[in-house]
Formats: sequence, C-alpha cells, structure tokens
Amino acid sequence: MNVKSNLYRKEKIYGFLFILPPLLGLLIFTLYPMIYSIYGSFTDWDGLGQMNFIGLSNFKDLWSDELFHKALFNTLFMMLGIPIGITLALLLALGLNRGVPGTTAFRVIYYVPVISSLAAVSIMWNWAYNGDYGLVNQFLDLFGISGPNWMANKYTVKPALIIMAVWKGLGYTMLLYLAALQSVSRSYYEAAELDGANGFKSFWHITWPMVRPVTFFIIVTNIIGGSQIFTEMNIMTPTGGPEYASASVVFYIWQKAFGNFQMGYASAMAVFLGVFIFVVTLIQFRMNEKQSFDVD
Amino acid sequence: MLKKKGWFTLLSLVLMVSVVLTGCGGKNNASSGGNSGSEATANAGSKDSKETKNLTFMFRGGTDEQKAYEGVVKKYEADHPNVKVKIVVTAADQYATKLKASITGNSVPDVFYFESGDLKAYVNSGVLLDLTSYVEKNPNIDLNNIWKYGVDLYRYDGTMAGQGNLYGMPKDVGPFALGYNKTMFEAAGIPLPDKDKPYTWDEFIKVAQQLTTDKDGDGKLDQFGAGFNVQWALPSFVWSNGADWLDATKTKVTIDDPKFIEALQFFTDMQLKYGITPSTEQAQTLDTYQRWMKGEMAFFPVGPWDMSTYEKLPFDYDLIPYPAGSTGKSATWTGSLGIGASAKTKHPGEAVDLINYLTASKEGMEALVKAKVQIPNLMDMAKEWAADTTTKPANKEEFLQVVNEYGRVLPGHYTYNAEWYNLFYTDIQPVLDGKVTPEEYVKAEQPKMQKLLDKAVEQEEKSKK
Repeated sequence: MNVKSNLYRKEKIYGFLFILPPLLGLLIFTLYPMIYSIYGSFTDWDGLGQMNFIGLSNFKDLWSDELFHKALFNTLFMMLGIPIGITLALLLALGLNRGVPGTTAFRVIYYVPVISSLAAVSIMWNWAYNGDYGLVNQFLDLFGISGPNWMANKYTVKPALIIMAVWKGLGYTMLLYLAALQSVSRSYYEAAELDGANGFKSFWHITWPMVRPVTFFIIVTNIIGGSQIFTEMNIMTPTGGPEYASASVVFYIWQKAFGNFQMGYASAMAVFLGVFIFVVTLIQFRMNEKQSFDVD
Repeated sequence: MLKKKGWFTLLSLVLMVSVVLTGCGGKNNASSGGNSGSEATANAGSKDSKETKNLTFMFRGGTDEQKAYEGVVKKYEADHPNVKVKIVVTAADQYATKLKASITGNSVPDVFYFESGDLKAYVNSGVLLDLTSYVEKNPNIDLNNIWKYGVDLYRYDGTMAGQGNLYGMPKDVGPFALGYNKTMFEAAGIPLPDKDKPYTWDEFIKVAQQLTTDKDGDGKLDQFGAGFNVQWALPSFVWSNGADWLDATKTKVTIDDPKFIEALQFFTDMQLKYGITPSTEQAQTLDTYQRWMKGEMAFFPVGPWDMSTYEKLPFDYDLIPYPAGSTGKSATWTGSLGIGASAKTKHPGEAVDLINYLTASKEGMEALVKAKVQIPNLMDMAKEWAADTTTKPANKEEFLQVVNEYGRVLPGHYTYNAEWYNLFYTDIQPVLDGKVTPEEYVKAEQPKMQKLLDKAVEQEEKSKK
C-alpha cells in the first residue's frame, strides 16, 4: 500500500514537471500580459508612469474615434481575401489531386510563399506594385491597361494587400485541401457514378461535405489571423496608407501604444479585438455544429 | 478527494510561479534603485579602480552610420579600459517600439538615443537622468561650443521644453537645407541661384518652370523643377510665410490662419497650377529622392546624413536657402536626435562620459564627420569643416546658417505626443490632388487636431503628478 502510493506520488510529480515548462510559458507570456492589458484598458496609462483607473472611459472614446472605425473597417474589408483564397486553393487542390504531371513541382511552387518571411514578401510586393516600373503594371501594359499606382491610391491599396495575402496563404490552404481530398474514399465516387452523378454533382454532394472540417478550420484560423494583420501594412504603407486606407486595428494599436504614449487606450482596443475574435469564433463553432446535423 | 488534491498542487504551482516572478522583479528594483544614489557620488573617486563597468548603448541608424558609431564606441573603450560597452542596434523603424518596450519592462539601456519630442514624457516619468550637474562638472564639455539649437532641444524645466535642466545631448543637428543640381543649371544656361539671397516664391516658380521639360520628346516630362515631400517640406513654406501649426502657448492649433492657407495653397499650386513637381502619383512611384539622384530634378532638400550617398552623384550639386514667403526670410526644419542616460544606470559618471564622447569630444566628432553622416557638433570644428569648399557640397556653410539662423523644430516636439500633428498629414492627400481646397481642408481639420492636442495637454498634466 505504502509502496504503491509512493510510486503514485512520484509519477504525479514527474507528470507535473513535464507540463511545467509549457504551463510556465502560458502563465508568463500569455496569461500575465493578457490580464495586465485587460487591467490597463481601464486606466490612462501612458506606458511609462503610473496607471490611474478611469473606468470605461477608453471604451467610450473608441465609440467616437474616427480612425479606429477606419482601421476596423479596413481590417474587416481585407477579410474579403478569405473566400477568394479558399476558392482558389480548393480549385488548385482539385487540379493537383487529379495527378497532373509535375504535381510535386507545383506543390513546391505554391508553398514557397508560405515559408517566406512576411517582411521580405512585403518588400517584394511593394516593388511589384510600383506604379511606373512595377511588375504588376508592366504586365497589365501588355493588355493595354495602364495600371493604377497601387499603394498610393486609397481605392487600390486594400485590393492590393488582399491580392498579396491571398497569394501568400494559397499554398498552405491548398495543401490542407489536398490532404483532405486524398483521404476521401474513392468508393463514394464510384457509387455516385453508378447512380449517374458526375462532375459538379459529385463534387457538391461528396467532395464539398467531406472536406468541410478542413474548410471550417481554414475559415476560423484565417479570421483570427486576418484580425491581427499588421506586418504587411507596417512595411508597405508605414504611415497607414493614403488617408489611413490601409491601417489595420493592430496597426492603430501599435501607433497609439508606441508612438503616442497611450498604452491604456491601446490596451482597450486590444481587449475589444480579443473579444471580437472570441465572439466571431464562437459563432462559427455554433454554426458548424448545426450544419453537422444537416449533413447527417 | 484525488481531484481536490490535483487542484491543490496546481494552485501551489501557480503560487510558486508568481512568487518567483515577483521576487525577480523586486530584486531588480532594489538593486537598481539602491545603487543609483550611492554610486553617483562614489563614481568620481573610483575612476581608476580596476573593476570593469558595463554599459549598454542602444541606438539606430543606416549602415554607414552604424559603422561610424561602432567605431567611435570602440575608441571610447580603448580610452576607458575599465568600461565595457554593449551595443544594441536596431533598424530605424523598430527603434521606438524597442525603446518603449524596454522602458515598460524596466530594463532601460544605460545610454540611448531618444527623439526630442519624447523628452517631456521621459522626464516626467523619471526615465531620463538629469545631466546638468555632470555636464557642468566635466571640464571636457564646453556647452558654448555646441550648437545652442541642439542643446536647447533637450532642456526641460517641467513646463516648457527648451529651457531648464539638461536631459540629453544632441547626437547631431540635421539642417534640412535646399540643394540644387548645378550641372543642370549650367546645361540650361540659367544663372546660378544666389547662395545668400533666397528666391522669392515667384522667382522660384519661374526658374523651376524653365527646368521642367520633356528632354527626349516622348510626351512625358522627365525633368522636374523640384520635388517636395509634404511632410518634410511644407513646414518651410508655412514658416517662411509667417504662419505655424501652433500658437506661442503650444495649446492651440492655428492652421486656419490665412497665412497658413496661403502657404498650403502655394505648396499645392507647385504641382497643380505650375506643374513643376511630379504629381503625387509620379512622386510615389519613382520617389523624388530617386529622381534627384538620377539628375532629373533641379531643386531638392538635402540633409547632412545624405552627404556620403551624394558623393557618387553623376552631377555637381550645391546648397542655397529655401525660397522665402511673405516674411522675406527662409525657414526650414532642422532635425536632431538626442542621446540620454537612464535615470537608473549604475554608472552615471561613465554613462555621461560616453555621451560626451559621442556628442562633444573632438575624437568622437572627427570620426563621425569623416564618415560623412553628420555635421560637427562642435562649432569651431564645424567652421573649419565648412571652410573646405573642395568637397561636395561646396556651400556647406549653408548647413551652419540653417542651424544658427533659420532652422526650426517640428511642432510636434513641443507637445506630449505628436498625434495631433501627424493627423494633418494623414488626411492631406485630397488637398494635394486638388480635390479639396486648402481653405476647406484647414477649416475641417482644425477642430479634429485641436481635440487631439487637448488630449495631449491633458495627458501631460497627468504625467506631472
């Protein structure tokens, strides 16, 4: 009895020791800053001196802050890239799944942007978007279209960023779909074929439902990632773009916190963003649950 | 029962972690706080002690500049064998973030660059060491031989910046003079501009129009009179027309002043009416900097930090005063970056020595000037440097005149943060495109900027408590 409980205790200690590093990491680098910034959002902290509690005043200011509204709109607008990216990635994956010659080469080509540094990619696209000498406009020139000055125009700067984001994420999404497609059993298609279903019908009734978990995963992670978009605009439009047309929420948070000594206000925005992401994700999970029943 | 025990262990773990965490923080505070007082007095006497003193020096700059500053720091270490300097260098655009994060995290570098605009915030929250007594005691520092403009930028008496105790030394002063392409003037047979008498605005337009041409006859302009970035060049036109963004009390936004509108109108007219500058689109594709360097631009602002780059230009250039508005006097922006010390440094004596070496010593200045990244901080050295007309630009004297006579600091420097001022440029594009008149713009923008300025003033009041 005694021996057993000793062993038990020992194992328990080892167990805790093993989970200690990640737990410590979580506490120090996630939980502590999170609680700190939630507290900070109720203060007028300038990032240097003391923190005075001011209640909900920061959040009230958010309500009437034009630039915040702009940044929020920009962030949401740029999420238009998500459905575009999903459609393109699925089409590509379907193509590659047919075993076209050179599949491996294509996979590599599409995956290279994913592993490239976002900063380097941003600098490269900045050159490509150059109005006079950029690759994009030179290409458009071939068709007699004189392209706009992408980054300097408030109407084109967001589409330009979307195109880049789609390009950058395509390989990752495509690879996920490819894996999902390959796990769909051929027997379903054979059965469908016997029943006379082909082409689009078998895609709509077999492929699409079968890859739904992947689609769900991609949408959730992309919305979370999209809400936190920052590096691209920081490098490509360091002042927030023409008339702040390319500033994202995180960009605005960063400006307030490190440029204007308004850490408290920036924290309030961060808390808002966090709640926003949480709620949106929650809604998605709920919707996913409901749809699962429909399929069954 | 078991379950309860599990939770208890977890809880005690959390407790343990938090104790460790707070323990660390407390210890740090105690050691840094305790030392700053005692060591400050002990320092003067213990100069020749053999104990190694470690300083961290955080700065930013382009590659040429980094090399130059690293060289000077090495020299300092050679002269001070008991001091080791650890260099932390970042790219320019990450510097502010890194510095502010280190301040928040209570690990401020001993010696570091800071923007003059952040002076008030750093002083009010006790980040910066008051250098006054150290500088006064140090026989190697002669403040009278350093640009007053530069030194005054780092003075603050608790209410107004520009006077009172000294919290930093200017790394350099950056007079943003106006350059012109001499070769282009000669090729076009236009008399060279006078280096002592500024153009009037009308004269400037006339000359610039003559130099704006389509050289290869393909129907596209490929040589422009001038290229001005609104953010860095508009202040020159506004100030020389007798207007400003702020009133004397630094609490009221004055951009709706008719003189201001007139200057903004002139600035936009250069593009929209006279066509002497590349359009916004043309300017942002191949930016004006590139066009100037390719020899496609007659006038372009020149800062001393560009001298090493401009060495290799395929044409000759020189400096002149900016065209003058209704005041008849030139005006321009003169930048500066300060070097300060942490109020919590363990070795304030050595920290100030290092600052002195980088900003006010002959040895340091000679190395930096030789690297062509700045003008000398020491006035006697600067005069000697400017007298040498064999190196480009010949009229280096203009840089000194800017610092001594007509250089100014950007309005954001005077306020707790520059948010209100930055908003002016965030929204200005439609004005430059001719979609909104300058008058409409300033009327709409003034209240928005005033609101942000009021907030900054309020923040400043709070930070003093």
